Amino acid sequence: MRKLRFQYHMQLNFESPAREHHFTLRCMPVQDERQSIVKEQIAIYPKHYSSTQVDSFGNRCMYGTTKEEHTCFAVDVKGEAVVDHTRFIEAPSHKVGLYRYQTRLTEPGPYLNTFHECMSVMLEQMNSPLKKAQLMMEFLYYSYRYTPGVTGVNTTAEEACRLQAGVCQDYAHMMLSLCRKEKIPCRYVAGMMLGEGATHAWIEVYADGRWIPLDPTHNRAVDDTYIKISAGRDAQDCTINQGVFMGGGKQQQEINVIVEEI
Amino acid sequence: MAILSAEHSDQLYWLGRYSERVYTTIKLFAQQFDDMLDLKTEEYETFCEKQDIPNIYASKEDFVRRYCFDEADPNSIFSNLIRAYDNAVVLREEIGSETLCYIQLAVYDMNKAKNSEAPILHLQKVMDNIVAFWGMVDDSIDSECVRSLIKFGKRLERIDLYVRMRIDRREIKREMKRLNLRIGRTGLKYNTTKLAHLNYLVEVTPMDYELILQEIESLLDQEEKLAAGF
Amino acid sequence: MNTEELCKYSDSVNELLARYGVKFGIYKNNTFKEQLFPFDMIPRVIHQKEFDYLERGLKQRVTALNAFIKDIYGDKKIIKDGVVPEEFVYSGSGYLAQCEGVMPPKGIYSHIAGIDLVQGKDGSWYVLEDNLRIPSGASYPMIARDLCRKGLPSAFEKYHIEDNRNYAKMLRRTMDNVNTGGHTVILSPGRYNAAYFEHSYLAEQTGAHLVTGNELVVENDWLYFIDYSGKKERVGAVYRRISDEYLDPMNFNEESVIGIPHIYDIYRKGNVALLNAPGNGVADDKGIYYFVPRMVTYYLGEEPILQNAPTYLPYYEADMQYVLEHFDSLVLKDVAEAGGYGVVFGSKMTKEEKEQFIALLKKEPRRFIAQEVIDFRDIDIYEDGKIVPRKADLRAFVLMADEPLVWKSGLTRFSRNPDSFIVNSSQGGGFKDTWVMAE
Repeated sequence: MRKLRFQYHMQLNFESPAREHHFTLRCMPVQDERQSIVKEQIAIYPKHYSSTQVDSFGNRCMYGTTKEEHTCFAVDVKGEAVVDHTRFIEAPSHKVGLYRYQTRLTEPGPYLNTFHECMSVMLEQMNSPLKKAQLMMEFLYYSYRYTPGVTGVNTTAEEACRLQAGVCQDYAHMMLSLCRKEKIPCRYVAGMMLGEGATHAWIEVYADGRWIPLDPTHNRAVDDTYIKISAGRDAQDCTINQGVFMGGGKQQQEINVIVEEI
Repeated sequence: MAILSAEHSDQLYWLGRYSERVYTTIKLFAQQFDDMLDLKTEEYETFCEKQDIPNIYASKEDFVRRYCFDEADPNSIFSNLIRAYDNAVVLREEIGSETLCYIQLAVYDMNKAKNSEAPILHLQKVMDNIVAFWGMVDDSIDSECVRSLIKFGKRLERIDLYVRMRIDRREIKREMKRLNLRIGRTGLKYNTTKLAHLNYLVEVTPMDYELILQEIESLLDQEEKLAAGF
Repeated sequence: MNTEELCKYSDSVNELLARYGVKFGIYKNNTFKEQLFPFDMIPRVIHQKEFDYLERGLKQRVTALNAFIKDIYGDKKIIKDGVVPEEFVYSGSGYLAQCEGVMPPKGIYSHIAGIDLVQGKDGSWYVLEDNLRIPSGASYPMIARDLCRKGLPSAFEKYHIEDNRNYAKMLRRTMDNVNTGGHTVILSPGRYNAAYFEHSYLAEQTGAHLVTGNELVVENDWLYFIDYSGKKERVGAVYRRISDEYLDPMNFNEESVIGIPHIYDIYRKGNVALLNAPGNGVADDKGIYYFVPRMVTYYLGEEPILQNAPTYLPYYEADMQYVLEHFDSLVLKDVAEAGGYGVVFGSKMTKEEKEQFIALLKKEPRRFIAQEVIDFRDIDIYEDGKIVPRKADLRAFVLMADEPLVWKSGLTRFSRNPDSFIVNSSQGGGFKDTWVMAE
């Protein structure tokens, strides 16, 4: 068990003023069996009306509207998380089926199919979904190179596989695609890691009635240095800042995350 | 309880304007057509000039055909009727099917007139339907503000056309009086100074037609109207 | 009654329908066109006793479908108990994960259902399709009835025919039942929608306001209609005639410009009713159709009153075998398509087409269902002065208000092409009134 202090800052800069800006933010860490959040503070700029709710995947959301013209939209979330990875999130098997099927972002094509094919003999010999997932994670880790700037938020798993490069989101999507080919329910997780930088992404696989988190980018199990923000079928379900607005022109997003142990 | 969106209030106003435009331009056109029978000159040129529409017509026959029935000519009577229809068709629950159907019938009759041997005769049916439409507006619409929006649009358009065509002052003054009575019942925000100015302008001699046209189009201050809507 | 007597008035009734703008829109070569919906004077007559049977069956079926949707987005018992395979739920296009865990006001998902039925030569009825998203068509028989009563007063005097003009009242009752406080509106994508006539006619007849997305706004967790003086009026029920996808750009298709941002967020909180509920597509998928009779037994513990057309799921090994062996006598439907598209007859394929289709079927068995071609009972229509037989179906409307209500009429659509089984208005079909008549 660890106690972590986190600061999340997101800023969206518009080239020209935006107005009638509707937003939904998923940047507040979840409260679940593994982590509890205390002393949370949230600030959104500019003036707005907003409300909170929990979405269909169990993620906390803040949604609302900023009517006035603005060239900058920002959110700050601060707080402390108590994380304990010895505990598990449990779920009955008949309720996780929706995570077993491919989405637009995870749908495999020839590249992922070939990649999967290479492991098929080994996979057939395993009967535990967790073991299978670990094997695929290892394969993935050694076959691909972490390369920022090549892929974007809309890059599919298949596309990343073809490029043989990508960031944490792409690793997560490729893992989801492979696990789903094995009929293993699995979900995308957006979160933060100890240190300073951007947000991170990993996955959870469903095995023996529990959700087990794995970090394919680092080829390891998730421990108490990770803070989970949200989960869903793919990155789209975990979109941190979703918005529609009028005007705005070109946008540029800055994200800054600091997580330290206390 | 009647609630009305900014979009619908706008459509009601324009339905009033376009229905009037169709009715009065047919009337004016029929007069023009009658005059032209005795004249060899290209009399329709003045007609276009007064109405402030481009004279794109090659001959007297071309003018009669296209000014009345050419859907591709944005200034034709048919085009204006289509605009009236476009506004009416989205207002069924405000004005009622029994009222809306007369605009629909006017469109059918316009098509019949277009293909008829005696198009001018057939245009009478289009006018009949417009008149029936106005009758239904008075007779069957309960909401005073819905009714007034249509009628206000109609009055405003009529003054505009009468002024353009330099119709007799008495007629213009009569329409101005009706407009004064109507505007307050629409719930629209309007420019009271402009209204007072208009009332003055229709009294002075000689009449400054251009200035009246200018003032009448800015009676409903666009910005104010938008501010009221959002 | 004498059919010739009926047909005498055909032209004048169709003229009246044109007068009231009874049309539907279609897109041809990317331009919008309005077409009159051809009306046939000869009604489909269903006797009271037979309709009672249909009514019981329809109520039962829609009650079970509603229970299914509630279960899928909630407890998922039917999956746990293995009655419906999970794959049919989650890989169908109608399932929306965003609807997980959302309970609509009073637990009603399917407020307005259109159930398409056909009658076989032996007189037995079969359900062909359930439409639980935005079924349209009720307005046409409503207005046609009004005009027929004018044209044929004697028939209505002589026989006891259920008045179907009460549909607006039924619909109002259904909307009021779930209204969370405030106005009731009908949300239309706009006048260039195929069913715009219906949207505007139902608004007029129910006294609801017809709106487009830009006239509504979500503020402080409530939905408002903004009137032209800037005043906000609360809206408690939205009978939306736009599809789930376009309803809310913040929750569904981000590109939608006809929806209302955040409307689904406040619906989730129970602050507004949406009719029908988003996500209903999970139950009217052509693949799920196969399981509806089982749902009736599963949820209600009753024997299904209405039967499906005999259907095979190539997904199951045994059914695939049957389909391959009897290919020429079956009709195959792509589960993702609607409106009469994606329907092919085994007997009408060339050898090459057949081979291609079977290859596709083997590759994606989940994508297709196969049905026996029902020997339809033809129904008479009046065409060019003659009475001729045509294929027809019946769309029955089931409304879920404080109790299930079945409209004692329906939309009878017929194919104008003598060789066609496809009755959809978008493919040139016409319609008839449906008379429920005392013996």
